[in-house]
Formats: sequence, C-alpha cells, structure tokens
Amino acid sequence: MREHVYDVFARKNRGDPLAHVGYVDALDDETARVYAWKTYDEENWFEMCVVRRSAIIPVNRDDGPFAGGRSEEP
Amino acid sequence: MTQFTDEELKEKVQGGYIVESVDEMTDGYRKALVVQLTVQADTELMSAPAYWMAARHAPSTNTQVSAHAIIQDELAHANIAYRLLEDLGESKEHLVYGRQPHEFKHPYGFDQPLENWAELVVANGFFDRAGITLLSDVYQNTSYGPLKRALVKVDMEETFHLRHGEVWMRRLAKAGGEAREMLQRAVDWMFPMTVEWFGLPDSMKRHSGQLAYRLKGLTNDQLRQVWMSSTVPLCEQLELNAPAHWDPVKEEYVLDYPFPCRYDEAAKRWLFEEGEISWDDVFERWKARGPMNETYVESVQRSRREVARWLQEEAAA
Repeated sequence: MREHVYDVFARKNRGDPLAHVGYVDALDDETARVYAWKTYDEENWFEMCVVRRSAIIPVNRDDGPFAGGRSEEP
Repeated sequence: MTQFTDEELKEKVQGGYIVESVDEMTDGYRKALVVQLTVQADTELMSAPAYWMAARHAPSTNTQVSAHAIIQDELAHANIAYRLLEDLGESKEHLVYGRQPHEFKHPYGFDQPLENWAELVVANGFFDRAGITLLSDVYQNTSYGPLKRALVKVDMEETFHLRHGEVWMRRLAKAGGEAREMLQRAVDWMFPMTVEWFGLPDSMKRHSGQLAYRLKGLTNDQLRQVWMSSTVPLCEQLELNAPAHWDPVKEEYVLDYPFPCRYDEAAKRWLFEEGEISWDDVFERWKARGPMNETYVESVQRSRREVARWLQEEAAA
C-alpha cells in the first residue's frame, strides 16, 4: 500500500488567504480528497484543496519538506 | 548541511529562532523532537480504542455521535503527529503497525479500561485536559514550526473534548444518587492517574533536552500545577472529592496523598494507605504496561496485514 504525501490548503471565509493547514498520506488523489476533508474538519471551510507534495516546486529553498518531496517518485 | 552546532542551535531557539526543516537540526534536536512526537502520536492513537470501547456505554444516539466525533478527532491528531515524524525520517508504517504493544510510548492511563459512561466523561474531563495542558505549552513555546502550525487544529478540538467531559460531569453530579456515585468512583482513580501522567518531579528530573531545545516551555511540576489549577476548582464546584487542595502559604496546589503510590489495577484503586513508593517502582509499573495495552494495540493493528494481502492478490491477478 504505497501512499503519497498530500499537502492540504484551505481558506475559512471568502477573502481569506489560502493557508497550509496540514497533510495526509493517501493512495491516490480521490482518497486524498476524502482524507483531507475528514481529517481537517475543525472549520466549515469555504474552500479546501490538496496538492501532491511531489508536485510542489520549491523556488528559493533547497531544504525543507517540499524540497524533499521532489525525490519521492519519478 | 547542519549549519549550527548543538550549543549554537540551543542558543538560537532560546532567542526565538524557529526551525523549519530537518536539515537545520542537530542530531540531538532531532532525537528529542522524535521522542516528543512519538509520545504525542502514541497517546492520541491509543486514546482512540480506549474511547471507542467506552463509547458503547453512550446513553443516546446524540452522545454516540459526540463520543465517536471525539474518537475521529483523536485518530486525525495521531495521523498528523505520525506524518510529522515521517518528515523527520521515521516510518509511520513501522510506528503504527510494526511495534509490539509494550513498545508504544503513551501514558499508563491509556492502558486502563474505561468501563462505563462516567469513566468516559471523566477521561474527557481529566485526560483530555492533561492533553491540552501539555500541547498548549508546546504550541506556545515550540521552536519547531511545522508542529506549531499542526497544533492549531489539535488544541481547538481537544478543547471540545474537555467541554464534553465537563458538561457531562456536571450533569451526572447534579443528578445525584447512582450517577454521582459512579462519577466519584471514576474521579477517585482517574485524578491520581492524571497527576502521575506528568512524570517525575522537577527535583528528580534528569537534564531534559526538551526545554533546552525549546520543544516545550514548562517543567513537569509546572504543568502538573496548571492541570490542577483548573481540575481541582472544577471538582470543588461539583462537590466531588479530589485528593488535592490549594495551599495559600506555598501558593500552589498540594496533593493530599502519598505521591507516587501503588495502584491496584484490578480494583481500580490507589493504595494511599501503603504510603509513598519510589519513582523506580512507578517506571517499572509503566514499563509493564496496563491491563488493556495488548487489546488496544491489537484493535488498531489487526486488519493491516490481512487487507494488505488481499490487495497484493488483487495486484497479482
């Protein structure tokens, strides 16, 4: 059961900035959506989205979790 | 590419520096953080089967929902903490599914059976309050950025668990009769259980990296006082006996029983009459784990291998 890391972003209200609220491990995009929605249910979010960590391209840092994600898979 | 020596990093974090990635950590910092997060994750994880088995005693469909909402929160918190551990190079798979029951690092309190509704709500009122006490200190003081951000959600939800516990403790206390008796019996074993949870007194505490690396801000004794400063007044307000009181001279809460002391697991009773024991005795009891340890761990791990095998068969077909 090979899972990928997905970062979860959400905004609480219209006009709020989209903020990184956490992460889930999931087999695929569909389960990542479900896990994110069920795990980060502390607010009635106006908008939530997930991004596979390996798809995040670091711009100005070569360390940290997002940089590590690039080598996660081909 | 560690830029700092251990001493430099300790000095920087004491000055408010926030660590954002594993590359900035010294080996000592990383190890101390892994220990802290493992205890946190295991505690959240093992609270789930404890609460799950107790949720059977919920008196209505509404309370079933609230009890299961709490369990769902705890599992999410555990997942978040294990995810943080993965970023530090640890394996969630191993931590959750690869360890033996006695290797988990949760407190002894979550190795105990919760056998009726009163025990579940006192667990929410006492154990979850201990969780908030410990984690809000971490939230306010931690030098590790990703953990601080993750705790926003956790603190918010633990506060809901605590309210659930308090509301129901109040309701049972007010009802009197058997409800109050059951509540008092739960308080009798769970109050000292939570006091012990905060660990060694400061006077005996070995040097801890957690304060030096600013992974927490308060000492064990300070945290124990914070917990008692809300728990003792709650019990007094509900006219429940809690074995501690405010000492106006010392200006702190003082325990009314020998601490630490022996615990009779089968009778769920602290043996105050046998007097004080050593902390080595306590560590021995903790290490042996409590009566529900294997049952709780097994309930979390049991289906993993079986379903993984089904999926492999599916892949092979």
